[in-house]
Amino acid sequence: MDSLSDTIWDVVICGTGLQQSLLALALSRSGKNILHIDPNEYYGGPEAAFSLQEAESWVATLSDPTNQNNAGNGGVFRAASITKPEATSPALKFSRSYSLALSPQLIHSRSELLAQLVSSRAHRQIDFLAVGAFFIFKAPEDLDHKAVLTRIPSTREDVFLSKAIPVKAKRGLMKFLKFVVDYDSEPQTEAWQPHADAPLTEFLRKEFTMEAELQTYIVTLTLSLDGRISTRDGLAIIHRHLSSMGVFGPGFTAIYPKWGGISEIAQVACRACAVGGAVYMLGTGIKSMQTGYSAEMELELELTNGVTVKTRRLVQTDEPASEKVVVSRLVSIIDSPLNSLFAAVVEGAQKPAVAVIAFPSGSLKTSAGKTWEFPVYVFAHSSDTGECPVGQSILYLTTPSITGSKEVLEQAVQSFLDAVSGEQVPHGVYQLYYEHLGGPAGSRTEGQVFKFPAASPSLSFNDSTLKVVREAWKEVLNEAATGADYMAFPDREGAVYDEEMYD
Amino acid sequence: MAARGPPGARGMGNRFAQFKLVLLGESAVGKSSIVLRFVKDQFDSYRESTIGAAFLTQTISLDETTTVKFEIWDTAGQERYKSLAPMYYRNANCAVVVYDITQASSLDKAKAWVKELQRQANENIIIALAGNKLDLVTDEPDKRAITAEEAESYANEAGLLFFETSAKTAENVAELFTAIAKRLPLDQSPRLGGRGERVTLAPESANTEAGGPCAC
Repeated sequence: MDSLSDTIWDVVICGTGLQQSLLALALSRSGKNILHIDPNEYYGGPEAAFSLQEAESWVATLSDPTNQNNAGNGGVFRAASITKPEATSPALKFSRSYSLALSPQLIHSRSELLAQLVSSRAHRQIDFLAVGAFFIFKAPEDLDHKAVLTRIPSTREDVFLSKAIPVKAKRGLMKFLKFVVDYDSEPQTEAWQPHADAPLTEFLRKEFTMEAELQTYIVTLTLSLDGRISTRDGLAIIHRHLSSMGVFGPGFTAIYPKWGGISEIAQVACRACAVGGAVYMLGTGIKSMQTGYSAEMELELELTNGVTVKTRRLVQTDEPASEKVVVSRLVSIIDSPLNSLFAAVVEGAQKPAVAVIAFPSGSLKTSAGKTWEFPVYVFAHSSDTGECPVGQSILYLTTPSITGSKEVLEQAVQSFLDAVSGEQVPHGVYQLYYEHLGGPAGSRTEGQVFKFPAASPSLSFNDSTLKVVREAWKEVLNEAATGADYMAFPDREGAVYDEEMYD
Repeated sequence: MAARGPPGARGMGNRFAQFKLVLLGESAVGKSSIVLRFVKDQFDSYRESTIGAAFLTQTISLDETTTVKFEIWDTAGQERYKSLAPMYYRNANCAVVVYDITQASSLDKAKAWVKELQRQANENIIIALAGNKLDLVTDEPDKRAITAEEAESYANEAGLLFFETSAKTAENVAELFTAIAKRLPLDQSPRLGGRGERVTLAPESANTEAGGPCAC
């Protein structure tokens, strides 16, 4: 067996987050010598999914100031803690019956990611689940009423049938939905381009005379973290949302991979690259790097396990950008299946495994009594996701990170549970809190080192991620990169597929 | 394509279940050869070491109405690939841990894999222990380094299925996989029967067309 040091690697990929893993998938049939390492003892980097035990050691590692491996996440997480109310913790099941996703993201049906997973045949290893309804939390009008969740109508038929929207308001909304269909062509562009950088809410008010409540519906569909998305970005996301509706089946616009979302895609991509002959090492990072070691300009990398390897290229993740976005995340395990959230939206449709609930800006208060000026998003996952045992469910909450975020998220869990339950209010039996850094940034190339931007804490998958993966692929393959065969592979020999058996 | 049943095979009352299986074990104990025998009914004496991992599928009929499809992940046994294993046993329904009955150390390695599976894999994973290269001791009993009794008593203790196999002569290979299939909870197959809750990544319009005149 030739040792790691004797091989001259074509590329060393450091980190197994989605970007690096997709690069591994893209290179899996290239015949290149690939060494894929990760300083963490688990796959998935910032997109990992954890058992309870793994979550515990992750929190311990993050809290340890002497640990060098914190950089293995690209330094994107901080302030992590776990809370288990003693009275309810017996409800917690076996550690490995949970798979808590660090960065859960919806994937719109029209996302190029899904097209690439299909053309690369990686989709065969993934079970995709439907993302169902989007709800808005409505605080009670007075003490005699309960808070309620109102489903956001997301097609024109839906709007027509909705009882939650006054007839007068429907007209404006219908007009807007029609406008979005081809918002990016004449004459629609004339209407929005002057407002491109202004908040979407302002545009909706001015151009479609929408009231605050309807604006909230629209902004919620964008999953804008601070609720202040620009008209340009907002229209693009709403367009993606509406055009994705029904693509893979009636009633849903996005999908979620079973067993931990993006983390599952990362692992499937790594497996594909391993089948192609790549070497994988967990718990191994890069200690130091020397450039220009030989005439062929190979990099010499000293790994944290003491081995020194030579490579033509190195691909790794950059530090988070300076103008970073910080969000607070809370993962809460609930001792109830919350069935009412996961009903099929349309008759004959797949039963969704994910529901989205938004607390609009201003609907929560901090413990100090101050109004929370940002939205709080809740992704509710049923046990169909494989992320929790049957009979339970998981809530993933996100809001911008400022003083009081944690308390607001905890309060949101309680308000949400009160709103969805009847006489018996379910409990949160486990809580994982952390802060997630990321931000707008592009890739960078420094000599033979390619740097991916730090993963963004966005709630839906953004296709711009694919662009940087493709840049990295080009960088590694050099002139051999033609582009026509990017991520397009036949099935491997020996694997027989018979889709008709599932239909 | 050969493994595919006739189109009508999954009619009323027929059951189709699909499971993920992973092979683990020391280098050169014959993991890939067992898979090759099971999937293609072939044997190759000079098979090269598996690099990384290989993926294959095979379908077997348990009885007239029950079909089980295995998605098989055959991993490389070499130490340099050991970080791969967690990706393969994650969500695996069953595992075959292979050792070579003529190499004493290979059973120790197998025991280490069983331990790791019991610690890290699915709670309900079905594990089978396979002592391979039975053909080598048929003519030369002296070559045997591990008695069947020793391995079997370990397997019983650890709650594993146990077979001594020969990928070369095919002895017990089909039996091994059939025994696993029989122990799997068929009703809990992640992809049992109909379309379930899984989304198929084909545009809805294409799905409708594929339905043809029989729009049931």
